[in-house]
Amino acid sequence: MCSVASAADYEKDIKPLLKERCVACHGTVKQKGGLRLDAGSLILKGGKHSAVTPGHSDTSGLLQRVLSTDPDEQMPPEGARLTASQIDALRQWIDSGAKVPNNEPVPKSPAEHWSFQPVKRPAIPKSAHTHPIDAFVFGLADAPPATTPRALLRRLHLDLTGLPPTIAEQESALPIDTIIDNLLTRPEYGERWARHWLDVVRYADSNGYERDAEKPFVWRYRDYVINALNNDKPFDRFVIEQIAGDELPDKSLESHIATGFLRLGHWDDEPADPPTDRFDQLDDIVSTTGQAFLGLTIGCARCHDHKFEPLSQRDYYSLVAVFNPLERPRQGRTELTVKIGDTEVYTLKQVAGTLPLTHVLLRGSPSRLGDRVEPASPAILSETAATLAKKSRLGLAQWIASEKNSLTARVIVNRVWQQHFGQGLVSTANDFGLMGAAPSHPELLDWLAHWFVHDAKWSLKKLHRLMLTSRAWQSSSVEQRAKSGESNPAVASPGSSSGSSPYALGSQLYRYRRLEVEAIRDSMLAVSGQLNPKRFGPAMKPSIPAAALEANTDKDKIWKASDEREASRRSIYTFIKRGLVVPMLETLDLADTVSSCPQRQVTTVAPQALTLFNGDFVNEQARHFAARLKREAGDDATKQITLACRLALCREPSSDELTKMRAFLQNEPLEQLCRVILNLNEFVYPE
Amino acid sequence: MPNVRRLSRRSWLQRTAAGFGALALHDIVQAASSPLVARSPQLPAKAKRVIFLFMSGGPSQPDLFDPKDYIARMHGKTISAPINTNELRVGTDKFLALATQAAVRPRGQSGMMISDLLPHTATIADELCLLRAVHSDNNQHQPAALQFQTGVTAEARPSMGSWISYGIGTENQDLPSFITIHPDSDTRLYGSSFLPAAHQGTKVVMPQSDKDSPIDYLRDVSGDAKTQRARLDFTQRMNRRLLEQSHNDAHMEGMIESMEIAFRMQTATPELVDLSSESEATKQLYGVGNKDCDKNARACLLARRLSEAGVRFVQVTMGGWDHHGDIRNALPKSCAASDQPCAALIKDLKSRGLLEDTLVVWSGEFGRTPWSQDLSGTSPIDKHGREHQPESFCTWMAGGGVKRGFTFGETDDFGFRPVAGKVHLHDLHATILHQLGLDHEQLTWRHLGRDYRLTDVYGNVVKEILA
Repeated sequence: MCSVASAADYEKDIKPLLKERCVACHGTVKQKGGLRLDAGSLILKGGKHSAVTPGHSDTSGLLQRVLSTDPDEQMPPEGARLTASQIDALRQWIDSGAKVPNNEPVPKSPAEHWSFQPVKRPAIPKSAHTHPIDAFVFGLADAPPATTPRALLRRLHLDLTGLPPTIAEQESALPIDTIIDNLLTRPEYGERWARHWLDVVRYADSNGYERDAEKPFVWRYRDYVINALNNDKPFDRFVIEQIAGDELPDKSLESHIATGFLRLGHWDDEPADPPTDRFDQLDDIVSTTGQAFLGLTIGCARCHDHKFEPLSQRDYYSLVAVFNPLERPRQGRTELTVKIGDTEVYTLKQVAGTLPLTHVLLRGSPSRLGDRVEPASPAILSETAATLAKKSRLGLAQWIASEKNSLTARVIVNRVWQQHFGQGLVSTANDFGLMGAAPSHPELLDWLAHWFVHDAKWSLKKLHRLMLTSRAWQSSSVEQRAKSGESNPAVASPGSSSGSSPYALGSQLYRYRRLEVEAIRDSMLAVSGQLNPKRFGPAMKPSIPAAALEANTDKDKIWKASDEREASRRSIYTFIKRGLVVPMLETLDLADTVSSCPQRQVTTVAPQALTLFNGDFVNEQARHFAARLKREAGDDATKQITLACRLALCREPSSDELTKMRAFLQNEPLEQLCRVILNLNEFVYPE
Repeated sequence: MPNVRRLSRRSWLQRTAAGFGALALHDIVQAASSPLVARSPQLPAKAKRVIFLFMSGGPSQPDLFDPKDYIARMHGKTISAPINTNELRVGTDKFLALATQAAVRPRGQSGMMISDLLPHTATIADELCLLRAVHSDNNQHQPAALQFQTGVTAEARPSMGSWISYGIGTENQDLPSFITIHPDSDTRLYGSSFLPAAHQGTKVVMPQSDKDSPIDYLRDVSGDAKTQRARLDFTQRMNRRLLEQSHNDAHMEGMIESMEIAFRMQTATPELVDLSSESEATKQLYGVGNKDCDKNARACLLARRLSEAGVRFVQVTMGGWDHHGDIRNALPKSCAASDQPCAALIKDLKSRGLLEDTLVVWSGEFGRTPWSQDLSGTSPIDKHGREHQPESFCTWMAGGGVKRGFTFGETDDFGFRPVAGKVHLHDLHATILHQLGLDHEQLTWRHLGRDYRLTDVYGNVVKEILA
């Protein structure tokens, strides 16, 4: 052997070479032959066969494969051969002992990612607190005090029903647990919480694109969700019905309506490229299914293996194969419904005749067919490749709605937590993959997920009750803010000091936050006495300012506003037109309607203040509110003010406020006081 | 350590609230310094305001500013890929050189290279400072756009406009300090995150007709300003109390502030957003009424009006640059939609004497590859497009104390990697702040126990481009 002038260096010569040419197949995402070459310790460990024998390049598999001229043997299998100097470097490095650094970190394998591990039930930590959530959140530490009974009552009502407590409810003095139980039996609960689910499933009443036509009878799906929540349909059943309610042995009209989920996406009725459009529609279903139920951004694997997640293009098209036998009933541009008995149902139907075969589409192009695939669940989540008992939507639905995958229960438990507390234990509710956020309290999340499936038997109402009875939820947000003090100077010299939270896990307590626009609007209607309790059925259209319609070519026809009575129904019954969202809803951060929305964005900008102070809707409600006060409290200003505060803020006015409001009324009509009250931050910020 | 100014403000408010009435609330707010009050910068400032023309999607710098002989010679042929081929980029695996189609020629006295596709921009070459070796860290739209606006590719951090608003406040108390025209839908792109909500960008969508307002409900329903003011003062006093109780919750403080701005906007804005007062010549300069570019023309004209009125940071987003396929057909259209409005903005600012202290920045979130992309795998070369390229791309700046007619930075023979005059996005951010008199290392906000900056722990001011 020739003398080695200077042995090749692992960090400088070998690692970059392996990274460039080998790691794509022998790294974290793929491990061909069980071999990984992305860390020294793994190279020395080898795969099915040894790769490197230190000191002996001639017997090292790595070098033999690199040198081989057999096309079945040679490495890398594609692209240019390694250059002579690259091969020399490998040889030198091995012959001089294949030295690798001791402390080199080993990149984690995606298979080890937390959310892909089975849900196990951790022990409840030792704690002075008897409530399991409090035991996880506070441990041995003290919990902050609960908020006042009055604030708690208002918080509960707004959280569960989206409406403030009535005078009678304020006077009832029931124990908190009883109030929670009562609220969970109210039909308004479903009307509030269905909207959260509609965000996740990209619900809208029209198709978007140029003509933006109404989706006929799509509101039956919205009503289905409201009913499912009110009847506490077990969440696993709720999932199965939406994906495959038409394939269930005990299918019903209701379970057919549930599959409207598959057809909620935006749709171009006259696409420029029909084959691509077909796969756009399938992509909408696969992507939404991935995000809504599994918290996976699988849509990224449409054109190529996912860049960041262990999801292959094959995984993606195996899911496409599940939905490929479906088509959208239509006659030209006009959409048709599916008749179930006498009822028109907005859903997809099975294609007639032979079922289409599904192939991987190379680069996502419909004209470039790769391998044929069968319906299957993503490999990373399955112990064996073909876990779907039935190769059908029902098979997929049953797999999703089961403990066979590690995600579904964690994902829904986190969504419910996010809605109650203001932020999820995982802050990226639609992304539990490698790129998503890590859970702030992994044990709590797993305990909840396990409890939800095994103890609560997928009952959302039981889950609500568990969370709402915890001190973590009932704690005083004011107290938290006072102690955690994330205060900064609003102005002056940049840079400041701030304390740290005295409660170890303070960030997971109830967060002070603005109500969603639906709850703001519904609360105004409730307070003004105008709320029309009519439930279900076709959507209503609140009036839209003429200026907002001006830009549309068919401005006279595009939006036929409902009469005031009809428009005074709860906001969940508002017609959501993708191309023309009611300005008040849009300005106050309605969910995006194009794809699954994991969490409402919260902006705070001047146009919102303009909408709430100058907008037609708020001013109309102020007039009705004033009329109601006169009706119910008579002409006495003190009585009017007291009633107004109780209705809107769930409290008596302080004597100071009473004095000042009386003074205000010396110069101003009552409706102006009402307008002020509806614009108070206190009205939209449940304490 | 408690903040002295805040304490005194709070105690003053409490005293005043007890007295209730002597002083109108807006006076209190202003005297006690709103988060938006104009502040002197830390360093001598060359610019007072910024207009950011954001070319969403990634304009093709090999076609517009940085063509390469090697690529032209190799058109349609495989070139040796200068990148890690393991990193999959769909439709680029053949690495076919795609030559620049329209001529890119020297312009003006400086000889700056600009494409025939940008004839209007070509006429302002001597005003521009062209950076040809800008680079950033992510090749996907959403994270790349987020990094351009906030410095990071994920999470929610304050956006550039909100940092600037926080740093120097607004010149005009009647308007938001940060306005974003036609932004993309992700509100993080103009959010204020942990900075006070008053620094958030206000979104504006230009109506297609002169007579409509881009902002709903601007009209005061109380009839006269005095009555409206009295009603608002009453509301705000009550809101202030809750704010005190909530220990100055940032969002609630933002709501109070936004109501104040809303009130002032009622008087200031209708006139400001009404383009009909502009002369025909000015409208023509921008291309208002020209169907190729009307939308962007209106947006750029509004940007000038807002800037002139004292808004610190105005952003105009112009989309349509994401040319993965058939770039030879599509790029000229995107150019036609934005070229005239952008160039007109520079000319208009200059003729009004505003360009000197207004820094205009034109950029996409990344550029595009010199080799082609073919998603179908079967199209002929002249139907190919280009893939995203954060490794190097072109940005231009004008006014605000940067060199005029100056080209900075060079890329390799492919037009892929910077070889000289490399400017990372963090450096660009540091430079923009520097021109406004802000030291990017000093402009910080304490959040969760740490001082945050727009530039995180990076960034150097690009001294070479400063006049």
